[in-house]
Amino acid sequence: MSAFEVLVWTLRLAFLGLLYLFLAVLARGLLRDLRAATSQTVRAAGALLVMAAPAGTPAVGATMELETISTIGRDADNVVVVDDPFASTHHARLTFRGRVWYLEDLGSTNGTLLNGRPVQGAVPVGFGDEVAVGQTRFRLEPASGT
Amino acid sequence: MTTPSLAGVHPRPRGRETSLLALAAAALVVGWLSLATTQAGHLSAGDPSLLVIYLVAAAAIHVLFVMTGRRTDQVLFPAVVLLGGISLLFMARLPPSLVTQDAGPAGVLTLAPLQLVWLVLSLSVIGTLAVVVRNDTWLRNYKYTWAAAGVTLLLLVFLFGVEVNGVRLTLRIGPLAGQPSELLKIILVVFLAGYLAENRALLAGTSLRVGPLDLPPLAYLLPMLAMWGIALAVVVVQRDLGAALLFFAVFLGLLYVATQRTSFVALGLLLAAVGSVFLYAVEPTVQVRVAIWLDPFAQALGSGFQIVRGLYAFGRGGLLGTGLGAGLPSPDGTLAVPALQTDYVFAGLAEELGAAGAIALIGLYLVIAERGLHIAARGADDFRAILAAGLTLVLVLQAALIMAGDLKLVPLTGVTLPFVAYGGSSLLGSGICVGLLLALSDAGVEAPAPPPALTRGERWRARGRSAAGRLERAVR
Repeated sequence: MSAFEVLVWTLRLAFLGLLYLFLAVLARGLLRDLRAATSQTVRAAGALLVMAAPAGTPAVGATMELETISTIGRDADNVVVVDDPFASTHHARLTFRGRVWYLEDLGSTNGTLLNGRPVQGAVPVGFGDEVAVGQTRFRLEPASGT
Repeated sequence: MTTPSLAGVHPRPRGRETSLLALAAAALVVGWLSLATTQAGHLSAGDPSLLVIYLVAAAAIHVLFVMTGRRTDQVLFPAVVLLGGISLLFMARLPPSLVTQDAGPAGVLTLAPLQLVWLVLSLSVIGTLAVVVRNDTWLRNYKYTWAAAGVTLLLLVFLFGVEVNGVRLTLRIGPLAGQPSELLKIILVVFLAGYLAENRALLAGTSLRVGPLDLPPLAYLLPMLAMWGIALAVVVVQRDLGAALLFFAVFLGLLYVATQRTSFVALGLLLAAVGSVFLYAVEPTVQVRVAIWLDPFAQALGSGFQIVRGLYAFGRGGLLGTGLGAGLPSPDGTLAVPALQTDYVFAGLAEELGAAGAIALIGLYLVIAERGLHIAARGADDFRAILAAGLTLVLVLQAALIMAGDLKLVPLTGVTLPFVAYGGSSLLGSGICVGLLLALSDAGVEAPAPPPALTRGERWRARGRSAAGRLERAVR
């Protein structure tokens, strides 16, 4: 093999090598990004602030952290438990889908109100909107931890 | 030292982009040396002015990104620069007389300088869009205007298009010639993003049950049928199989992204199958395409010539390739594969860089796919997410279609390999896609740093002030 052939081969392999080095550096960075993205614990970014509760529980001014799917009602297995004679056992449900909270009524006796209007189907809720279940009123707030 | 006059514009280092660009530049310089040495027969850099201009342009846009300090993606731009650089190397290696254009005062430009001009323009489009676009309402609010513009563009091509190689997709306005379908792709994505973001809940939530089938509601089937009709019309009138396939595939992809309903995709594939059979029956072009895909060697010197020569080029390349500049098409001879600078650029690169180079090229497109979908997943709302997904799909599906076509995995369709194939419209169109993706990837304004902790002295002074305030109020 002549010196020229060695030179050409060196350059050719160096070019291919650098292409793969570029890809390898990229792949390392992308994997790091992905790991960082998955290690962030997925938590719903929302809480309910109690605005009015005639029955006394929950206390007015208390904040209740929400889960991704949170039911509101009188039963103890709800995420948000209200001690309110006008609320049903499983009254309403707040779900965090993608980037938006949705509110739906679970066939309650007295209905669920969003900013004073009865809820039909799943409706999007923004931060600052008022949700009324029975006589208890909540306001949706961003979660305090985020 | 000049400080930027615009409020809120502060330089921000982009370390990852800088190092990736340096690596890409190093690879391209070595590639250029390899090419020039092979051609000269001794160690030589040839005339490196083309590569130098290209790298300087890329560096200038990087500096622009740093100076304007937006928190945009740092991976897409270097990947694009490397793809464009590989394109420049390959064009510099092909016979210069392949394409010539009179550029007025600059004299007659040949293949590689022309490609350089378009590459630099494309990078400038990326730079401009990534820096300037801060707001997407102009895209979002006028979706029907965009749709109308798209249809107008399509009609213009239908009526006034010029046939080149039996495909009517070039529009000539005075001395300028362009292929509007490159722009149409982007307009289509903008419209679909607007439409799907607005009707997402309706599309995903409601359904029409027919026996065991869970069909989308009829009213929302209409856009699907319209898209199908447009795709068919594009094939029949323009004989542009690639664009039609791309439009419909992007549409189905976005429909799935927006609704996550497989029934839509199944229905769309069914429509596509029906359309394909129909087109096969009425269009002789389609029949030829399919015949030479199934058996190019039956017509090895006729219609299958290009595919056969393309396959030979892949074969000659082997694992490591013949080396840049050492492939069959000699710089002064005729091309080994017709359309080596456009449709068969992938085959040409695979010949000279081998399977290793071809796989690296595919890897670069995968990187673009990953980044684009990453940007889509982090999109601040539905419109941005769907728009980013659509722009990514346009780039990546196009690359997949033509690379698979060159390899005879699918029937050959005349779409371009983004950032690599020769051609101004394609380069500008791809540039717009990446520029918008970068603008969409902006992470926004950083949260302000928490205030520094008070020192002991400051704490006492603050207490004193609040005590004085209380006293003040009590007295009043």
